[in-house]
Amino acid sequence: MVSSSTIHRPAGLRETRDALVEAARAGASVECAGGGASAPWAQGRGSANLVLDTTSLTAPLIHEAGDLTVLAGAGILLSELQAELAGAGQFLALDPPSARRGATLGGVMSSGDAGPLRHRYGTLRELVIGVTVVLADGTVARSGGRVIKNVAGYDLAKLFCSAYGSLGLVADLWLRLHPLPERRCTVRVEATAAEAGGLVLAVLASPLEPSALDFCRGACWARFEGTAAGTQAQAEAAVGLARGSGLEAEVLGGDEDAAAWEQVATATSGGAFEGDGVTVLRAVTLPSELEAADTALQRAGQGAGVQVELASHAGIGVHTGRLTGGDAAAHAIVLASWRDFIADRGGSVSVRQHPPDLDDPALLAGPPPPGLEVMRRVKKVFDPDGRLAPGRFSPWF
Amino acid sequence: MNGPVSVEQLGAELSQSLRRDQILVERAELRTYECDGLTGHRATPLIAVLPETTAEVQAAVQVCASHHLRFVARGSGTGLSGGALPDAEGMLIVLTRMRRIVEIDPANQRMVVEPGVTNLEISKAAAPHGLYYAPDPSSQVVCSIGGNVAENAGGAHCLKYGFTTHHVLGLEVVLPDASVVCLGSPMVESPGYDLRGVFIGTEGTLGIATSVTVRLLRLPETVATLVAEFATTADAGTAVSAIIAAGIVPAAVEMLDHLAIQACEAAVGAGFSLEAGAVLVVEVDGPSEECSGTFAAATAACTASGALRVRVAADADERRLIWQGRKAAFAAMGRLSPAFLIQDGVIPRTRLGPVLTRIAELAAEAGLHVANVFHAGDGNLHPLILYDTARAGEDERAELLATRIIQLCVDAGGSITGEHGVGVDKACSMPAMFSEDDLAAMLRVRTAFDPEGRCNPGKVFPTPRLCGERPGPYRPHPLEEAGMIDRW
Amino acid sequence: MPGGPPVAVGDIRPSIASPLDACIHCGFCLPACPTYRLWGKEADSPRGRIHLMRLLSTGEAEPAAVARHLDACLGCLACLDACPSGVAYDEAIEDSREELESVYRRPFAERVLRLAVFALFPHPRRLRVAMTGAVLAKRVRLPGLVRRSGLTKRFPFVAALEELLPEISLTELWASSRAGRGDGRHLRRSRDEMVRAKGVARLRVGMLTGCVQQVLFAPVNAATVRVLSAEGCDVITPRAQGCCGALMLHTGRGEDARRAARRLIDAFSDEGLDAIVVNSAGCGSAMKSYDRLLAADPVYAERASSFSAKVRDVHELLGGFEARAERHGLEVRVAYHDACHLAHAQGIRSEPRRLLRAIPGLTLLEIPDGDTCCGSAGIYNLLEPVTADELGTAKADSVRTTGGALVAAGNPGCLLQLQRHLGKALPAVHPIELLDASIRNLRPDALRP
Repeated sequence: MVSSSTIHRPAGLRETRDALVEAARAGASVECAGGGASAPWAQGRGSANLVLDTTSLTAPLIHEAGDLTVLAGAGILLSELQAELAGAGQFLALDPPSARRGATLGGVMSSGDAGPLRHRYGTLRELVIGVTVVLADGTVARSGGRVIKNVAGYDLAKLFCSAYGSLGLVADLWLRLHPLPERRCTVRVEATAAEAGGLVLAVLASPLEPSALDFCRGACWARFEGTAAGTQAQAEAAVGLARGSGLEAEVLGGDEDAAAWEQVATATSGGAFEGDGVTVLRAVTLPSELEAADTALQRAGQGAGVQVELASHAGIGVHTGRLTGGDAAAHAIVLASWRDFIADRGGSVSVRQHPPDLDDPALLAGPPPPGLEVMRRVKKVFDPDGRLAPGRFSPWF
Repeated sequence: MNGPVSVEQLGAELSQSLRRDQILVERAELRTYECDGLTGHRATPLIAVLPETTAEVQAAVQVCASHHLRFVARGSGTGLSGGALPDAEGMLIVLTRMRRIVEIDPANQRMVVEPGVTNLEISKAAAPHGLYYAPDPSSQVVCSIGGNVAENAGGAHCLKYGFTTHHVLGLEVVLPDASVVCLGSPMVESPGYDLRGVFIGTEGTLGIATSVTVRLLRLPETVATLVAEFATTADAGTAVSAIIAAGIVPAAVEMLDHLAIQACEAAVGAGFSLEAGAVLVVEVDGPSEECSGTFAAATAACTASGALRVRVAADADERRLIWQGRKAAFAAMGRLSPAFLIQDGVIPRTRLGPVLTRIAELAAEAGLHVANVFHAGDGNLHPLILYDTARAGEDERAELLATRIIQLCVDAGGSITGEHGVGVDKACSMPAMFSEDDLAAMLRVRTAFDPEGRCNPGKVFPTPRLCGERPGPYRPHPLEEAGMIDRW
Repeated sequence: MPGGPPVAVGDIRPSIASPLDACIHCGFCLPACPTYRLWGKEADSPRGRIHLMRLLSTGEAEPAAVARHLDACLGCLACLDACPSGVAYDEAIEDSREELESVYRRPFAERVLRLAVFALFPHPRRLRVAMTGAVLAKRVRLPGLVRRSGLTKRFPFVAALEELLPEISLTELWASSRAGRGDGRHLRRSRDEMVRAKGVARLRVGMLTGCVQQVLFAPVNAATVRVLSAEGCDVITPRAQGCCGALMLHTGRGEDARRAARRLIDAFSDEGLDAIVVNSAGCGSAMKSYDRLLAADPVYAERASSFSAKVRDVHELLGGFEARAERHGLEVRVAYHDACHLAHAQGIRSEPRRLLRAIPGLTLLEIPDGDTCCGSAGIYNLLEPVTADELGTAKADSVRTTGGALVAAGNPGCLLQLQRHLGKALPAVHPIELLDASIRNLRPDALRP
């Protein structure tokens, strides 16, 4: 019997399916929940009759170390999964800071969350090789498989990444793994946004292969991993590159490296709740637009009397803009202005966090994507009655 | 709708938007399109067009939409699963004249190209900027990027660098209703569902890509290639496992068995030893120091696994020759036996040894020769089943062996296709990997893009028409017996 | 070992009945084909043409439809090098064109055109007369008249021919007809000419004088004789030689080609010849395939075989032994053009380059897109002038980018095509003329005044 806002935590796939079948029969709306780490970022949230808590969907866990793959339940904590894999000298190349705040695998997939390592390894879109989903009518469907090389059938996993639960529930995932590197180290270069912009392009054009390339707190951060000799050589080359541009650089290794990235990742991945009155924006541009994005944000902030700060995965053009001070209306102005600028350059801006008074859905959502019509049709085929993730992607849907 | 539309009428409507030389109606000319790289399935399209712009593609698709006509898109026609097999009652839309390189952005390492541009042309255009396009199918000299997008093509170097889907950022697509939509963008992500991601690899069943924005990589500082000779494929398989166990991610690991070696040597003379039971080509690339350390480890792994000889490519020319030999392998088979089936199964790398042994056993049972050329690094096998059309029944035995090998791969936890796609070739084997619910869920996506089911129908998904009531050993179906489509 | 004992290639016997059987439809030939690059159509690619050839031989296609696409094939054989399966496209296109001619009655205009071409080009004497007419016509400005009359629009062949034929004076035209003399300056087949080697003779070779070559490029023949002699060859130029039949062979006139081949074999039946030297790539490649051409001839099969085995392109021959004559400096920048029938058909690429590089002061330049046909392709530029023009223009542009003062090509057809599209600004010469000038210590401007 389903009543309003019931929470149900299925223990496995069968229970999950049964719960959705039941919900379908009752015409109940359903919201999926994981660790709650990225739930606040969803664009559009209504209230659902049923909340499916996925945190017990931790089985199966099959680690094929010899083939560098793992099957994991969507409810597993990302941190637990990494601990398990580390035992065999492997890791899932995904480092969202939300992992420290109880993010589940399924949650990270649904929100598309990722950390600085996405520069080299991508997000779960690039790392998922197979998926089991449960649809609104209880259908259990699989796509992909257990091997990293596979083009059989459609890749449904792609759709479910960043879908925020609107197409169905992700039950388990086959993932591609990587060997844990022998060594990691970081080169930190003091730089303004303008200097960082130039340095980033220079790094991209160089033979260096950083695994992360971020900008925040007045510095550019490049992480290198691999063999001991290899990382050493790359770090030295990076320092040389920076000095060649007249910038100061230092190398951080061991614990310093790990500690540094904890801080940097939090800044550049735009995840944690930042306190009342703070607005966190996410923008995506071409890598060459770092300086321009920063300047535009500064200008918008000055104009509206809002303090702004930019932190970026500079190597791939993914930015986090923080707005503090000023009221919701001022934040709204900054958002609109920055978004216009970014959109002009072909990019887009979304909102991760905002003060409660900043609640204009159209402003928060921004313009719909070019493929909106197809997006609507995809939603319709998977969730004909529109019961999943009520309000999601409004006002587009 | 009063009966099927005539070719004349189609031609007349198409000529509103296309020139006469872009509209093909002459039978012999249409027959040159009756198959792609998979010659066992042939069908002549009703009419074919060669559009040169997105608007012309739209016009052609619109004509199809008005008449509820089925259509198939084709690039260079080198696909190995029959993805570009025409529909005998439909239109073939050939993209080979859309081959402009529209824009290069070296600083941001992006390029916008039309779908008919070949894979290698992209790398050639990127080369002056010190960049290249990473996915490198063996047919890259001729295969089109549009085709790569349809199949989510891989290639030898996809072990380290990933597949087409990792290197295509944005697409302009003409949908079956003739509307144009942009999926993805030049940015690394875009709002909404990853429609770009779901489109790639759907084998032309969701629409026609008319512009592709690709991601380029910087040419690696150092590339090191070795050729290791082994007495048996089992030994070579051990070496592959050892390389992986050592935490090395090479750029590519390829294996050739002795039959394949002989074909390659006959065609290219790349210097593979004719005495070896198997040969591994291992390539490592990256920043110099990192590369040399990794390469040393890879060499050690080969030696420790019983390599009889390890040859390191001395320079770019030698390296080029080695890859020429490897990439010509399929076609070089033609010298041994012009009739052969190319397979594309994938298995977990941990199962390489046992599966190769089993394939050899199955081949012996069938009385046929099977050559093996494949991407050992990611477990993507390419058994090449050789047969002689002059010997009675060999083609049927070959088909049967092919089915058994596919099942073997699935049973080992792998896939029926690693990079060639399902097409018509393996549609009937899809149920070996996916349940009805799985396939139904995928079909929902297809419905979202192509409600009328006119866009490259008959591909990817098993149908009674194609597979008979129950998929299994090959059974000819009425259309074949009626001579409307051919199979040999 | 899995799969049993090692299997040797020979154990697997493919049933190849025709060259077409080896094609596995891989498509690697497409990017190499000039007409595919121009039009993007499968039917105008080697793979598509092979498909059409099959349809022709099974009777499943209308000859007229197939003819269009086979005619459009340049026969450049770039596809030969690109094909991993070893499809003998050259044999396939020759056989198929012959088959086509036997079942296809061409439209009247085409028949007339071909008749005219084959009545003229394989016959040096007639060609010389026709050229005289052309030169005189130019004097009275007839070409302009013809053009204004619109005749050239209706008969593009006429315009093509007119534009193709080089500037040549009557003196040059008829000087070559005078009986050969000891200085070997102009040779003609009035009687078997023998020019002795300078110093000890190391080889005794026969030389082909050709058709177009001897009429329009007589200096090339003269230079060839001089160089061969300087390098220690006794050069015999048989009087009775005629056309080698290449033009016929490449256009499906199989019987005419075989007739020409037999006559040529007879003309060179001097047993003492170590080699038969050819300075025209198209001719050389045809002569090397006489064994296949006459394989079914009970009388000539064996003779054809030994004849073909002796044929050498002049660069091939000279590249095979140590240079004897001193090379004097020749300060000139030369772009080297690979004639298709030298590079693709005979695989001769490095010898001409080596010979040219051995000339002190000579800078050898590579032409971008060097593997693409210039559009001459035998008489293709007369039969398919529009396409030939496109290719010729593209080739000329490529040549100009090298910054060379001259372009060198080992084939008269290429020389005509290059001259037509480059004009006087960038003259075209045969590499042997450069060697000759170097040996005789001439200045570069003596080459093409």
